[in-house]
Amino acid sequence: MQSKPIQVFGLGFTIAYAVLIVWLYATEPRTFKEVTTSAEIAAGTYEIDQEKFNSALSLFQREQFRAAREEWQRADPAQRDARTQFYIAYSFYREGWGRVYFDQELFKQGVEAVNRAIALSPNSPLTIDDPDLRIHTPAELKVELDQGLERSWNDINPLKVFRTRK
Amino acid sequence: MTSIRSRSFGQGSDGSTVSHTNRSRNRALVNFVVLPFLFLTVALLGGLRIGAESRTFIFIAPPLVTLLLASLSLLLFVRGGLLRFHQWVGSDFPPLTNIAHTWMFITIFFASAQAFNSVLPEGGLFHWLFSFFFLWTLWNNQFSSFDARRLLRSLTILFGTAFVLKHILLASLYSAEGGWFKRVAGTLLQGVTLGTLETPTFAPVTGYIAFFTLALYIAGLILLAFANDKPTGA
Repeated sequence: MQSKPIQVFGLGFTIAYAVLIVWLYATEPRTFKEVTTSAEIAAGTYEIDQEKFNSALSLFQREQFRAAREEWQRADPAQRDARTQFYIAYSFYREGWGRVYFDQELFKQGVEAVNRAIALSPNSPLTIDDPDLRIHTPAELKVELDQGLERSWNDINPLKVFRTRK
Repeated sequence: MTSIRSRSFGQGSDGSTVSHTNRSRNRALVNFVVLPFLFLTVALLGGLRIGAESRTFIFIAPPLVTLLLASLSLLLFVRGGLLRFHQWVGSDFPPLTNIAHTWMFITIFFASAQAFNSVLPEGGLFHWLFSFFFLWTLWNNQFSSFDARRLLRSLTILFGTAFVLKHILLASLYSAEGGWFKRVAGTLLQGVTLGTLETPTFAPVTGYIAFFTLALYIAGLILLAFANDKPTGA
């Protein structure tokens, strides 16, 4: 009878430990830093690094797309922020856009990023109020990227050199 | 002096009661806290590898074959008297005790699966060769007469051999940091077997983790053998 508190404590403690192990195997963090990030996500306290985000935005406005993406990836290492993922997708779009042809590889990566942005804001559609952008929602951006990946007779239309980047 | 002793440990019937209480508490602590914690740690570390180049964690969930091996091991533990179900779980015990003991068996099962996972090569022909030899050994052991001590000795040898083969011999053969002879031997072996022996390489620290995991697993089983004398909470 005297072992009952020990039994209760042991069960509670070891079940919590087992849950932690299952969570580690499910999330597969690669570093201790990722362990803490995953824990923040699970606890609902995850936030992006606003300073890095702003720095990336400034690079984006100067058309330093690759550098901007790297900075955004550092700002949102867990890829859990819809706004950051939207901007990453937008940087793929702008870098991949060309008057004669679109860079298919960059557009594909853009689609992946915009899909993440859409998945991360399922209930309230995301709208970005940025006067520098001509596309403000992930849905519009996705359409633009998808159209860039499609092959059609329009691709050989010489007038397409007059189109504008959004 | 006698008065101090009598105050500390009690005397006569009181002394035996205190001693019995302490023994009961210590056993409960081992059975319900220490052993499950130990086996769960084995379950955690058994699938942990460290990437050779990236030096990052790689978590490898137990392959299906390790669950089969763990099941055979549990059968062996029951046959060898290391696990005595009828003494640990039964209708005579309080429900909480039954739940706690069943939970411990579950942790032993997953620890066994992960202990096998830590010494099984991750892919290629060696994975299946090792799996086959484990299955063969465990299946043969089902028909041998075992007691707990002999079973523990046999398991130690089994895991020890697999550890040496995987983490010392194979790791050294496929190591990129090895000498030219090792590299030539490794490349020849892969060439002759048309790449079927190819296996991922990990950082040397993976071997240390596996050694610690196996040591913990065997220590847990030894502790279990001692804790087996009399179950707690009954």
